[in-house]
Amino acid sequence: MLKHLPLIFKNTLRNKRRSILTILSIAASLCLLGFLLAIYNMFYFEGSSAEQALRLIVRNRVSLANPLARSYQGRIAQVPGVVETTIFQWFGGVYKDARDPDNFFGRFAVEPEKFLRVYPDYRVPPDQYKAFTDERSACIVGRKLAKRHDFKLGQRVTLVGDIFPVTLTLTIRGIYDSERDNENMVFHYDYLNESLTGGLKDTVSTFILRMASADDATRIAQTVDAMFRNSPLQTKTETERAFELSFLAFLGNVKAFLFSICAAITFTVLLVSGNTMAMTVRERVKEVGILKTLGFTNGKILSILLGESVLISFLGGVVGLALTVLLCTWLRTMPSTMADMSRLATPPWVLSTSLAIALVIGLVSSFFPALSASRRPIIEAMRVTD
Amino acid sequence: MSNVVIETRQLTKEFVRGESKVVALKDANITIEKGEFVALMGPSGSGKSTLLHLIAAMDRATGGEIRVLGEDLRKLSDGDIARWRNAHVGFVFQSFNLIPVLSAWENVELPLKLTKLGKAARLDHAKKALELVGLGDRLDHTPRQLSGGQEQRVAIARAIVTDPDLILADEPTGNLDANSARDALDLLGRLNREFGKTIVMVTHDPHAAKSASKVRYLEKGELLPIGQKPEDW
Repeated sequence: MLKHLPLIFKNTLRNKRRSILTILSIAASLCLLGFLLAIYNMFYFEGSSAEQALRLIVRNRVSLANPLARSYQGRIAQVPGVVETTIFQWFGGVYKDARDPDNFFGRFAVEPEKFLRVYPDYRVPPDQYKAFTDERSACIVGRKLAKRHDFKLGQRVTLVGDIFPVTLTLTIRGIYDSERDNENMVFHYDYLNESLTGGLKDTVSTFILRMASADDATRIAQTVDAMFRNSPLQTKTETERAFELSFLAFLGNVKAFLFSICAAITFTVLLVSGNTMAMTVRERVKEVGILKTLGFTNGKILSILLGESVLISFLGGVVGLALTVLLCTWLRTMPSTMADMSRLATPPWVLSTSLAIALVIGLVSSFFPALSASRRPIIEAMRVTD
Repeated sequence: MSNVVIETRQLTKEFVRGESKVVALKDANITIEKGEFVALMGPSGSGKSTLLHLIAAMDRATGGEIRVLGEDLRKLSDGDIARWRNAHVGFVFQSFNLIPVLSAWENVELPLKLTKLGKAARLDHAKKALELVGLGDRLDHTPRQLSGGQEQRVAIARAIVTDPDLILADEPTGNLDANSARDALDLLGRLNREFGKTIVMVTHDPHAAKSASKVRYLEKGELLPIGQKPEDW
């Protein structure tokens, strides 16, 4: 087969415009396919970091919209294996103009000292840490968020509550760095709680607890949930990763959705490539006859024709995946106003699967026209006019 | 060892067109010996190309027997025929039939790619074949950069590069001007005389047929007896 590579390569370049257009159409489809696989990877295959594995999230069993009582925290902290707990209250609210998606970012009310013990991967300079913990209306923001809004230390930020009927004026006292998240704002839960009256006071949407060992996750989760099984506000305790995926489940069957789009892309590019290969083979039927008179067997001719198609698909796949890598790299640097893309990566399995799909597309799309041409009797093939 | 290269007995080829049957060749008996240069002549539709195609195993007979170079072609599978053709038969076409994307030496090298020869040996053989046909200085030219006569010489080089026992030529001068036709025929004559190649050539052209040592005529699908020409010829 290697002997025939020059012929395959030259045949591929025979109609440059058509080959380039086919390569580009495959590249565009493979870029999209690779991107969807990268998203799939981010959602379902991206494992927990060592730090993440040490944390559990406790929320209301019914839904996140239903709160838990603040008093639960003391009992949760008593469970053997739990080394720290913190309130982690989603605030929501509006910063400046809610119509501008750039103004959307995570705002959480926490217990500062406990929070930074539960999340040691949030790195805050010591002086900023002290300023944050000492001042009740202080907050810290992620570096990426600070950059996006040009936040400066000492700057005052006003959040108008929507879930909570309060307006909070916070002072930025620190900027944190973290491996995974740099786009949130956290402030004192006490400051929020003291502003509240009525039913929302002393309620919490989630507690986050840090364990001594990740091996205890199942036992601790079961213990916590069992503890509140007979209370009016039952809990659901899960790993941080499972908690993240539960948000994804709000969108429906995302796996099936991604698979169906991938299948549609593959099928479409199969048709495009199949059409091109059918045209290419049809134009070369006479040459198939010539090759046969020289002694080429049906199998050799089939492999040459398939080789051309596979080469085109391979080139399209390589270009498409290069675009996927560029796209993912670019999206990782973008602000996560809609979704957190910071973990969007193209691991080897994404690249190799996409490339394998490209090669299969090359093989399948040309198989039947190539088989038909290779089996055509010499006399019939030679009668075909140029 | 027998000197017979081609031997046919009652060789028949029928085509079915719709509901009617067309007899392209009927009961052809011909024996061609090693080193002969035979021209097959006859009007259009006389069956001369059909006979040539059957000799080259490019088509299957519907009746009769055919042995070429000792092989009963009816008994060979398609794959065996392809390998046999590569090893023993060189074919020259009227319209040259070179691969347009390949250079002269790449076209000539093509049949050698089916052999066990290494790249250097293949190039050497292809170069020698092109030098033999007087195109040693056109190795890298593509068919588009060659004249019709030069293209036909490349095709002849391709036909002889595997050193076949038998060369089959189907109207090799049909698309050439007088000078180029003469060159091509001289070349075939040389291959016959100097290298002992057995050549069977289909032609309409009486001048071309003069290059052959023997001429056989066909008419209405029948091979005429030696020395007999078709009426009105």
